[in-house]
Amino acid sequence: MTLKLDALFDAPGRPYLDTDDLSVLSQYISSIPDRIVVYRILRDQEVEIMQPIADALQQVSSQPEMVVERSVRNGLLALRYVAMAMLLDDPTYLAGRLQDWMAEIAQAYDTQSLDQQLLQLLQQQLAKVLTPAQCRLLQPGLATAQALMQAGQTVVPSR
Amino acid sequence: MVSVADLLVDGRLPGNYFAHDLYVFGSTELGLLENRRGDRLLAIPDPLLQGIYSGLEKETGQASKLVLYNCGRWWGKNFYARFCEELADYYNQSLASLAMVEFLQSLQQCWKTHGWGQITLDVTYRDHGFIGVAIWHSPFTGVAPSSQTPSGDLERGVLEIFFSQLTGRELHCVQTSCTTTGDDCNRFILGLKPRLQPVDALVADGQSHQSIMQALTQQG
Repeated sequence: MTLKLDALFDAPGRPYLDTDDLSVLSQYISSIPDRIVVYRILRDQEVEIMQPIADALQQVSSQPEMVVERSVRNGLLALRYVAMAMLLDDPTYLAGRLQDWMAEIAQAYDTQSLDQQLLQLLQQQLAKVLTPAQCRLLQPGLATAQALMQAGQTVVPSR
Repeated sequence: MVSVADLLVDGRLPGNYFAHDLYVFGSTELGLLENRRGDRLLAIPDPLLQGIYSGLEKETGQASKLVLYNCGRWWGKNFYARFCEELADYYNQSLASLAMVEFLQSLQQCWKTHGWGQITLDVTYRDHGFIGVAIWHSPFTGVAPSSQTPSGDLERGVLEIFFSQLTGRELHCVQTSCTTTGDDCNRFILGLKPRLQPVDALVADGQSHQSIMQALTQQG
């Protein structure tokens, strides 16, 4: 369940939901059909969306094909998570999937700057496939993904 | 050219297997905690760990370090087997073909998700035949009685076996810094036993991890 709904339903012993709570609930529920449409487009056109990005990335980058492939893999994974976060209206979902993982994998394979280029290209590509309103639904997730994939964790954790 | 369709042959893209919100489950009606494969997990309270340290100290004195070290080796042997099995299943490929990056990244995440602290690997001295391991926020030395010498014997045993099995060499593990002696984290060095011979004396002498590493790498 999404974070917002969790917060609504999860407080034991609480009184009836107030007007604000109910309007959060009804806003989310009325946005679900739009979210499903976007989700379906991303799912069904995964290859069509990502292949032009992979091609463009390979053209602009001097990196070996292995590295580009690794970056495309990261991009595919990130987009799947962004899609799910959008469906759930929960950008924190991304933190659980990407944090501590993607940034370090990217660092180890040295794909960080390529990944950022890829996410830029992804924004442009999505603008071609989706309407501006649909793009707006994905925006919070994409921004979160971009930040999480950039933040290279240092070797020594802060206390 | 990179073919996206080829990357998605079976539709699966492995992610963070040990992410804590996906890994820990519970059959709470049966009083069981489980991981995502259904293997049993156990939450150990701090006072129980404290009790183990103090009970061992009382009953076996000096030998308690050796007991903990051997418990660690036992744990490490089984941990390695289970860890490898889980990864091989998840990535749907033999462990030999799994990239070292994913393997070590998974180890770090696994360690964290189980609440054993944060483990980091230092491969700076790889060419000299040593692997460095640092464990931050260790729950084990966190409850061990304060001491003049390092007391991460449990972890020393685990790491020794884990990396011996991983590398296929009989490795030895020594601890060079410890939270119970006032250091910021537990640091360990893995390598062949004869090459690590001088370390015990240096640790007893109160030398820092850095200067011990310097001495080791200069021995040729």
